[in-house]
Amino acid sequence: MSTPQTHDAADRARRLQRVAELLAEVVTPQEVLDAILTDGVRAAEAHAGAIGVLSADGETIELLAQRGYDPDVMSSWATFPVDAQLPMSEVVRTGKPLFISTLAERNRLYPSLSHLGQEGNALVVLPLAVQGAVFGGLSLSFDRDIEFEQERRELKMAFARQAAQALARSRLYAAEQALRERMTFLAEASELLASSLDYNRTLARLAQLCVPGLADWCAIDILGPNGEIERLAVAHQDPEKVRWAHELQERYPPDPDAPHGVANVLRTGAPEFLPSFPQELLDEALGDNDELRRIVDELGLNSSITVPLNARGRTLGALSLIAAETHPPFTQADFELALEVARRAAVAVDNARLFREAERGANAARALAYVADGVVLIDKDNIVRHWNPAAALITGVAEEDALDRPVRDVVPSWDALTTHVPLVAPGAPARPVTVPIVIDGDERWVAVSGVAFMQGRVYALQDVTEERALEKTRSDFVTTASHELRTPLAAVYGAIRTLRREDVELSEEDQAQFLEMIEAEATRLARIVDQILLAGQLDADAVELDVSECDPSEIAARVIESAQVHSPETISLSLDVDGTPKISCDENKLRQVLVNLVDNAVKYSPGGGRVELRVRNGDGSCVIDVIDEGLGIPPGERERIFEKFYRLDPDQTHGVGGSGLGLYIVRELVERMDGRLSVESELGKGSRFTLELPAR
Amino acid sequence: MLCRVNLSASGMDVLEAENGRTALELAKRERPDLVLLDVMMPDVDGWTVARELADDERTREIPIVFLTARAEAADKRMGQKLGGVGYVVKPFDPVMIGDFVERVIERVERGEREQLTRDISSTTGQ
Repeated sequence: MSTPQTHDAADRARRLQRVAELLAEVVTPQEVLDAILTDGVRAAEAHAGAIGVLSADGETIELLAQRGYDPDVMSSWATFPVDAQLPMSEVVRTGKPLFISTLAERNRLYPSLSHLGQEGNALVVLPLAVQGAVFGGLSLSFDRDIEFEQERRELKMAFARQAAQALARSRLYAAEQALRERMTFLAEASELLASSLDYNRTLARLAQLCVPGLADWCAIDILGPNGEIERLAVAHQDPEKVRWAHELQERYPPDPDAPHGVANVLRTGAPEFLPSFPQELLDEALGDNDELRRIVDELGLNSSITVPLNARGRTLGALSLIAAETHPPFTQADFELALEVARRAAVAVDNARLFREAERGANAARALAYVADGVVLIDKDNIVRHWNPAAALITGVAEEDALDRPVRDVVPSWDALTTHVPLVAPGAPARPVTVPIVIDGDERWVAVSGVAFMQGRVYALQDVTEERALEKTRSDFVTTASHELRTPLAAVYGAIRTLRREDVELSEEDQAQFLEMIEAEATRLARIVDQILLAGQLDADAVELDVSECDPSEIAARVIESAQVHSPETISLSLDVDGTPKISCDENKLRQVLVNLVDNAVKYSPGGGRVELRVRNGDGSCVIDVIDEGLGIPPGERERIFEKFYRLDPDQTHGVGGSGLGLYIVRELVERMDGRLSVESELGKGSRFTLELPAR
Repeated sequence: MLCRVNLSASGMDVLEAENGRTALELAKRERPDLVLLDVMMPDVDGWTVARELADDERTREIPIVFLTARAEAADKRMGQKLGGVGYVVKPFDPVMIGDFVERVIERVERGEREQLTRDISSTTGQ
């Protein structure tokens, strides 16, 4: 038979059983707290309940939730020390439950509470423990005095055990959930960071990824090449606020010497974590700027994390997270997550920069491989670090024989080569010095310029052998032209001065000779000037041909006729025509070609002899030979005689004058008339120039 | 011809050679008081003529004045090296050539031959 007591006890057990079932179903910490403090408290016959947990450092108890107490009173108990003389502190300290039947007993045991809750009655505080470890306490207040007999005590203890397990489980679940969220976030962030080498865009997207899950605001700043702080991205859910933040950044640019925040993190490379904003810090940062103060108030900042983007010992930038209007203050876990995100972002930025540098280096190497100038890089220990193909060509030393070796071993004459080369600072204009180097017995002229920088020296080598040769022929030409002009000028001037002498009576024969001299030498002068001008026109490709049908034998006859007038008596001129093919050409230019060739033949026959012009039919062409019995041309010079300014007997001491332009002009004109010019010669026996022009 | 007419007008006897070889023969045979020598001549050039005249005891003392279109410093040094006592660069005024030659002969006779040779480096014309 059941008594009312046993009936009550069975009822209490049943109610508790229902709470246990409920606690087994709920998952999140909030659901568990709700179940404990509503159904649980009710099942335990109490009218109010509160749950406190030990802080991470084990020093304090934080009140997680309460139900049924006066909120104003409870707000002053949000956190209290473990070693306080309070019921929950004692229970957490000892791990033993506390059953107090009356208010009087409570006030006796805890005098510090005697001024509080005077209307209360019985009080029970139970340890919340899992596997013997106490992590908090559950207090239950009753609206009557209760004698807690064994059965009641055991039921309440069982309730506390179930509550503790449910709480611990839900906290584990929440922690696991948070961890999973963090892992997911990290995975997304990593994927994003690995997606592109354009880190400016990637970091902007990373900032976007951080809001609102991780923070209300996220900003990323990067250190510029000159140490300037460059804001790369600001993210907030509301685009209007992002615009506003940019404006704010412009109005109040960051002070690089600021003792806190981004500037400080960039400077020191150490993170900054402010779970809350201490008022004195805000005062220090805002100073007297009322506008800024108003803005900060409006923002409702409550917590911030600023972590550096550190890679290979350097701080590249900073990631800032702010919890403001929606996000709860940051926890240690948030801070650790931010550190990890920043670490990964820094690696991504560093990799992107390294890749860009490597790419630039590869592009530079490609450019250097194809550039015509030799480029040599020597480190401060005089070891060759770069030796491009042009340098190999100029010096005759292959790249593999030069790299990583002392430059003096690579090119023994290196010091002599570079001793007079001024080393300029990077960016300064190069001051090349031209020096000769001998490679395999062949002398080359090289213009060398050098730049000195922190890690060594760079030399640029330019093979100027041909330019130098051209320069020499140019200067030879000036000398030659001046000789050539002086002689006829002297004759013309001298003849006129003599003719005008009043103190001397010249014979008629002398007078006639002087006039002839003036005419001949003036003609010679005009021809030299014409040749110089024509060579200039040929260079500029400005010679126009007036092509018409013409008879080469007729032109040849006139050339011989005119040559006979002013050739020395020792020269015998003749024309041999065998067939008369018609050709299309510029008659004047062909005449000029033949005049030059015949004059040349006469000039290079100082001992006299035969000069013959032969015109004959070729295979679809007209062939004209100019043959002499003169000095002949040495075998090595048979091609060079057609070069501009090139002269046999460059010193002209043998009296064979000329501008050095005659044969150059001849070949250029012949080629422009689609013809060919060749030469055969035997030294001391004479030469044969053969001109072939296509028949019409 | 220019020199012949103008030197004759100054009362000098002039012997003309149309090339280096003839000049050498003439100089050795006639041993003139002075040789006016062009450098750029067919066959045997003026430098060779001067060298051969200096090598020959009979002609060693004949003063040589170079008369040439070659105005380079190197050419003048060559003229000095070969013992020239004058260096006239073309174009020159042939009317003055008679006086110039007379002056040179006088100074050579006064023993100023070496001074005349040294002066070649500063020659700009006649």
